[in-house]
Amino acid sequence: MEPSFLITLYSLGITITMYAFSRMLAKEYVLLRATPLFVSTALIILILALGGVREEGYSQAREILAFLLGPATVALAVPIYKNRQHLYDHAVPVVVGLLMGSVTTILVTVAVAKFFQATQVVLLSLGLQSVTVPVALELAHLLKASATLTAGVVIVTGMLGAMLAPWLMNRIGVHHPMSRGLVLGTLAQEQGMVQAAAEGELQGAIAGIAMGMAAVFIAFLAPVLLPVLI
Amino acid sequence: MKNMAMLSVQILFLVLINKLGYFVAGLLSLPIPGNVLGMLFLLVLLWSGVLPLRLIEKGSLLLVRHLALFFIPIAVGLMNFGDLLLENGLVMLLALVVSLVVGICVTGLVAQRLAKPKREESHGTEFPDHAV
Repeated sequence: MEPSFLITLYSLGITITMYAFSRMLAKEYVLLRATPLFVSTALIILILALGGVREEGYSQAREILAFLLGPATVALAVPIYKNRQHLYDHAVPVVVGLLMGSVTTILVTVAVAKFFQATQVVLLSLGLQSVTVPVALELAHLLKASATLTAGVVIVTGMLGAMLAPWLMNRIGVHHPMSRGLVLGTLAQEQGMVQAAAEGELQGAIAGIAMGMAAVFIAFLAPVLLPVLI
Repeated sequence: MKNMAMLSVQILFLVLINKLGYFVAGLLSLPIPGNVLGMLFLLVLLWSGVLPLRLIEKGSLLLVRHLALFFIPIAVGLMNFGDLLLENGLVMLLALVVSLVVGICVTGLVAQRLAKPKREESHGTEFPDHAV
C-alpha cells in the first residue's frame, strides 16, 4: 500500500470523527451550539499538525469530501420548496429584510476593513462573509479571492452570528419568530440555521429559506458590487 | 440496502443537476456560480411539478444536513495562513462583529416592522401603524 493512500485514509478518518465529535458536543452543551464548525476545524488542524501531516498530505481527503459540495448546494432547493408555505405567508418581510440586511452587512464590513487599510484579499473574503461556504467558494473563485480564507471567514461569521444574534435580538426587541429565523439564516448560514431550529419550527424553516435565498442573491450581487467597492 | 441504493440514485441526480448548472453557466458565460444555477434548476423542477419532492427529498436532506462536513476540510487549509491571520486577524474580527451587529439590527427590525400590522391588529391597537 502506498503511504499517500494511508495518509488520505487517516485524514478522512480524522475529519469525519472530529466533525461527529463536535456535533455531539454541540448537542450536549447548549453553550457550544454555535461552535461545531469552528471547533472541528480547529481540532482537525491541531491533530494534523501534531501528527506531522502537512497541508499537501491532506489535499486528497479534501477533494474527496468537496466533491459533494456542489450537489449539496443544489439540494438547498429542497428546504426552500418544502417550506414554501412559510415563504408565501411572509414574502414581503422575508425578501425586503433579507435584501436590506445582506447589503448593509457587506457595506459595513468592507467599510470597517477599508478604514484599517486591509488588503484586497482580506476585503474580498469579508465581503463574502454571509454566503454559505459552497457558494462563497465559487464566488471567491470568480472574484480571484482566496478560497481558504473565505471559507474560514464564513465559518467564523456563522459562529459569531449564531451566538450574537439571539442575544442582540432580545435586547432590541426582535421577538417575532419569522424575523428571528430570517436574521439567523441570512447572516449566520448553517450555524444560524441550527440555532434557529432550536428556537422553533418556524424559525428553522425560515432560516433554511433565508440561507438559500441569501446565497442566490449575493451570487448575483457580489460579482458586480464587490469590485466597485474594493 | 434498498435504502442505500435509493439515496445513491438521488445523490447522483443532484450531481448531474450540479454538472448541468456549471455547463450552462459556462456555455452562456454567466457570472453566476454553476452550483447556484443548479439549485435554481432544481427549484424550477420542483415548483413546476415536473419532479415530485419525494423522489429527491431523502438524499437532498441528507446532503444539506451534512453540508458542513464537505467544506470543513477547505477551512483546514487555514493552517497555512498563520502569518496573514496574525497580521489581519483583529481587523477582520472587528469588521465581522460590527457588520453583524448592524446587519442583525437592520434585518431583524425591517422584517419585524413589515410583519407587524397583522399582529398589532390582533392585539387590537387603537391606532394601528399604517406607515408601512
